[in-house]
Amino acid sequence: MSRTYDLVHRTTYTYPQEVTDSYGRTVMTPRDLPGQTVLTSAVEIDPAPADSAVQHDYFGNRTTYYCVTEPHTRLVVTARSTIEITRVRPDPASLPTVAWDETATSVQTGSAAAAMSPDALVVLREMVLPSAHVTFVDEVRQWAAPSFAPGRPLGDVVVDLCHRIRHELTYRTGSTTVSTTQRQLLAQRTGVCQDFAHLMIAALRLHGVPARYVSGYLETLPPPGREKLRGADASHAWVSVWIPGAGWVDADPTNDQLVDDRYVVLGWGRDYHDVPPLRGVIFTEGSGSKLSVQVDLVPSGSPAFA
Amino acid sequence: MIDVLSSAGPNGARPGGTWDWLPEQAATPSESDLARARSEAEGLLADHGVTYGAAAEHEPWRLDPAPVVIDEDEWSRLEAGIAQRAELLDAVLQDLYGPRRLLADSLLPPTAAVAHPGFLRTVDGLRLPGGRELVLTATDLARDDDGTWLALADRTQAPSGAGYAMEGRRVVAQVLEGVYRQTPIQRLGPFFRALRQTLHDVAPPSAPQPRIALLTPGPGSETAFDQAYLASMLGLPLVEGSDLVVRDGRLWVRGLGGTEPVDVLLRRVDAAWCDPLDLRAGSRLGVPGLVRAVRAGNLSVVNPLGSGVLENPAVIAALPRLARTVLDQDLLLPSAPTWWCGEPSSASYVLEHLAELVLVPLSREDHGVLGWTLDATQRDELATRISAEPWRWAGQARVGGGALLDVAGDDGTGPGEQDRSGSGVGVLRTFAVAHRGAYTVMAGGLARVADGPVVSSRTGAVAKDVWVLAGASEPAAEPADAGGEAPVARRTGVGISSRTAENLFWLGRYAERAEDQARDLRVVVDRWDDFHGRPRSAGGRALAVLVGALVDPDAPADAAHAPTLRELALDRSRPESIAASIAGLGNAAAAVRDQLSTDTFGPLARIDRALRAERARQRVPEQGLDLGRFDDARAATAGLRPVLDRTLEGLLAVAGIVAEGLVRDVGWHLLDAGRRLERAQHVVAALRRTLVDPLPRTVEAHVVDSVVLAHDSAITFRRRYPEDAGVTAVLDLLLLDDANPRSLAFQIERLRRDLSGVPMRSRPTDERDRLLAQLGDLVVELDPAAASARDTDGRRVRLAETLDSMHWRLLAVADEIEKVHFARPVTARALDDPWDAGDEEVAP
Repeated sequence: MSRTYDLVHRTTYTYPQEVTDSYGRTVMTPRDLPGQTVLTSAVEIDPAPADSAVQHDYFGNRTTYYCVTEPHTRLVVTARSTIEITRVRPDPASLPTVAWDETATSVQTGSAAAAMSPDALVVLREMVLPSAHVTFVDEVRQWAAPSFAPGRPLGDVVVDLCHRIRHELTYRTGSTTVSTTQRQLLAQRTGVCQDFAHLMIAALRLHGVPARYVSGYLETLPPPGREKLRGADASHAWVSVWIPGAGWVDADPTNDQLVDDRYVVLGWGRDYHDVPPLRGVIFTEGSGSKLSVQVDLVPSGSPAFA
Repeated sequence: MIDVLSSAGPNGARPGGTWDWLPEQAATPSESDLARARSEAEGLLADHGVTYGAAAEHEPWRLDPAPVVIDEDEWSRLEAGIAQRAELLDAVLQDLYGPRRLLADSLLPPTAAVAHPGFLRTVDGLRLPGGRELVLTATDLARDDDGTWLALADRTQAPSGAGYAMEGRRVVAQVLEGVYRQTPIQRLGPFFRALRQTLHDVAPPSAPQPRIALLTPGPGSETAFDQAYLASMLGLPLVEGSDLVVRDGRLWVRGLGGTEPVDVLLRRVDAAWCDPLDLRAGSRLGVPGLVRAVRAGNLSVVNPLGSGVLENPAVIAALPRLARTVLDQDLLLPSAPTWWCGEPSSASYVLEHLAELVLVPLSREDHGVLGWTLDATQRDELATRISAEPWRWAGQARVGGGALLDVAGDDGTGPGEQDRSGSGVGVLRTFAVAHRGAYTVMAGGLARVADGPVVSSRTGAVAKDVWVLAGASEPAAEPADAGGEAPVARRTGVGISSRTAENLFWLGRYAERAEDQARDLRVVVDRWDDFHGRPRSAGGRALAVLVGALVDPDAPADAAHAPTLRELALDRSRPESIAASIAGLGNAAAAVRDQLSTDTFGPLARIDRALRAERARQRVPEQGLDLGRFDDARAATAGLRPVLDRTLEGLLAVAGIVAEGLVRDVGWHLLDAGRRLERAQHVVAALRRTLVDPLPRTVEAHVVDSVVLAHDSAITFRRRYPEDAGVTAVLDLLLLDDANPRSLAFQIERLRRDLSGVPMRSRPTDERDRLLAQLGDLVVELDPAAASARDTDGRRVRLAETLDSMHWRLLAVADEIEKVHFARPVTARALDDPWDAGDEEVAP
């Protein structure tokens, strides 16, 4: 059973004054992975960049650099891909029963990676450290504590964290920004998917369990009886947890579920900071800009939205 | 200051501080010789403008001329250890951004690398041509109690101090000339030649004649002197991030007439700040796209981005086993015992011995702590912090009698605590540079000594030159360079950045402005003493006119307090003062230090000293400028005449160096243009302020005398014109006479010539040229006799109109020059983050 999707991710910046130079980097091309095959992909930039380059970053994500030198007041970055997904949602009950504290110990002593390549230990160690958006503050420690009973199977912990985030925190678009701290998030109990992913990652790393941040998309379905609005999908983010015996298992705390064939993975890193869909530097005398993002993730062959 | 660094003398006694290594004991300097040498060194350092510290608080660099002396045998062992260490660190660096095979708990624990902020994932996999990644490294060494050298820390990010070391050598060679000449000392030159050659060798293969530049954070950097000095020693232009741009995957410097490629960048900006796109967002010290240019293979950065990860106590702790694994050798140069808390057994050792250890953070972004300075509560707090994030800390044993914390003294973190109880301590910073497959170690280095346990230039450590004695076999002359000099290729093209050009232009303006102010003020001071008591005499009334002309009548008046003569000379906070112009001149000169001869800074330093010394004198009461109102009005001018003379002498020296010492390139023409523009504005303003309003004949005669004197034209005036020559003659001499280097006609012609050869950015120069042509016409059309005729109310209305139209055109020319030649790069900012652009939750 597989699903094939057409994916369009368009970001439009409109500036009040002319921008003379625009430098940027995107992580908008899905990765080839077990369970996910990229059939076609392209990133288009308007105005056309004078220079661009595609590379794989430290984490293996495909990134695109561009430099636009034509003066402009509008920049449009469009990523189009066709992806075949064969991923099957793991049954939480079938996950290895290894305890979270046992996992933490094996990562700390290095025995965890004994069966894997030496490079794997570097990755595991990296994914138990704090990072730009993942902070080891007391508030996170206290919030996480109830989920980490000694000896509890890590799979249970993951399911529990997803469940708690879904029910204890409220999802609201616009309730946080890139500079909202985890302390603030826990005080307001309201956030977006990046915040939820970061909170879960922090809870796991604080307890020595490797966890990384995944950037991607989730196919949304219209309310029953309605037609799906074009461009109404969105970037999404979730968590990948390292479970000995199972490897990296993806879990979505925003929707309280493990990741299945309706998810498309763009890339991963320590947190949002490593894999924002788009970042850039512009040269302009003006201030401010208007930003709009449209994402369409639809079964392949549906009429294209743009 | 106790010398704790020199080699032991023949009697085995340390500390050194003796001169028993001198071939001729008779040459041993006496205490008074040394005192003289110290004060001469201080003077030379001030004259050369050698400073340390951030822009607002540049401190003079402190140097004790008595050298640290290391004998040949000891040095050759040390040198081998330093070279081995560099080779080992290089291997680690190559591995960290490559296969990462060394990352294992039994060798180099992975967390030590991946938790370090200097580990830059963005540059993973990049390689520098030439086979080495670590090009330049510095190691801070101290002696333990029995004299053994121990390494405390390595500087691999962007090591500073080589420039200070060279400058120290030059100063000491001068002030201890006798001793220096009879001592066979190994030279520093080979190190710098090796560096220069290596910068060529690491260039992208596509650039056989590489263009190399030194990237500086700017004149505000703590080690700005060191950077500028190194740049001029190596013959590299000093560039800032805002001078650079990445286009087509290449790095370019924004020159006057367009952009020029840069192939190699010797960076003094910490790597994280080098690219606001791919590294630290918002950095203004770097250039967006820099990483792209490196990845495209079009740019080599030295040290490579990411090298800061080696400034890492966990690496120090791992070096002995790394040496055995990587080099199959024992580590020759031991480090101070260091325990990285990321290893559980080390963590418990450190926690048990907190009170004895120096707590060193994993990266210099955090502050170090002297364990023994903490009270019990502070120790507990620290223990808690360490236990929470053990990988962020290491403990290091105290070394030597005083024990040491991190030798900040870079643009890095200074010590958090200070302990003044320790005896003298010293740190030797050594330098090594990769060169043709091996490492060349500077024969010497930068020694710094302090009374406390903290050796940091920031907390007042004193530098010393380091003399490595050469053996009998050592040739007295500089050894020939084995590899030969890099081929000499004279580069054509503009070669200076737009920012440098602008600074040179302002250098010219400020130098001239200060000179004009000093001349005007000197004339007033002289008249003051004659006439201030007789305000109603012709001389007294002329004096009032001259005093009034010192300040711009159109400037917003400071009603509460009109400036005193002293303030016009000395008060930097007043923009119309000489001191403010000298400060502007100093800043402009510091920003283009790499373009100027060192001699330029001597006169500037002497002017600054003269102004400062007079400012420090209290000459009360501060008097206003109202004539004849106070009891002891002489106080208004007391002490000023000598200061004005010193200032003029210094400025004339600078003008001479500029005239005779600078190549007539674009930079010189801009500097000269600045001077001409300023002088033209000054002569027009001075005439406008003194000769237009009605004055009795006798008063005007005094004014005329003073004006021609202030414009350095008195001799010609007297020789050329009749005794009773008046305003007509002044106008002829100061406006029309194109042979008089003080006249407006002369300035306009020079300005036109200077600017004709300066390339413009993108704008046309039509407006600038049109204004200059109009100014020329105004001069030609001016009939001095007609212009000096007074109107019925006694004012010279025609003269006023002409001078006014000259005045605004000169202002407009200045604006046009700024626009045409120095167009500022547009400001960069980060694109708004699409953090929350339409994220969505699915219906459950």
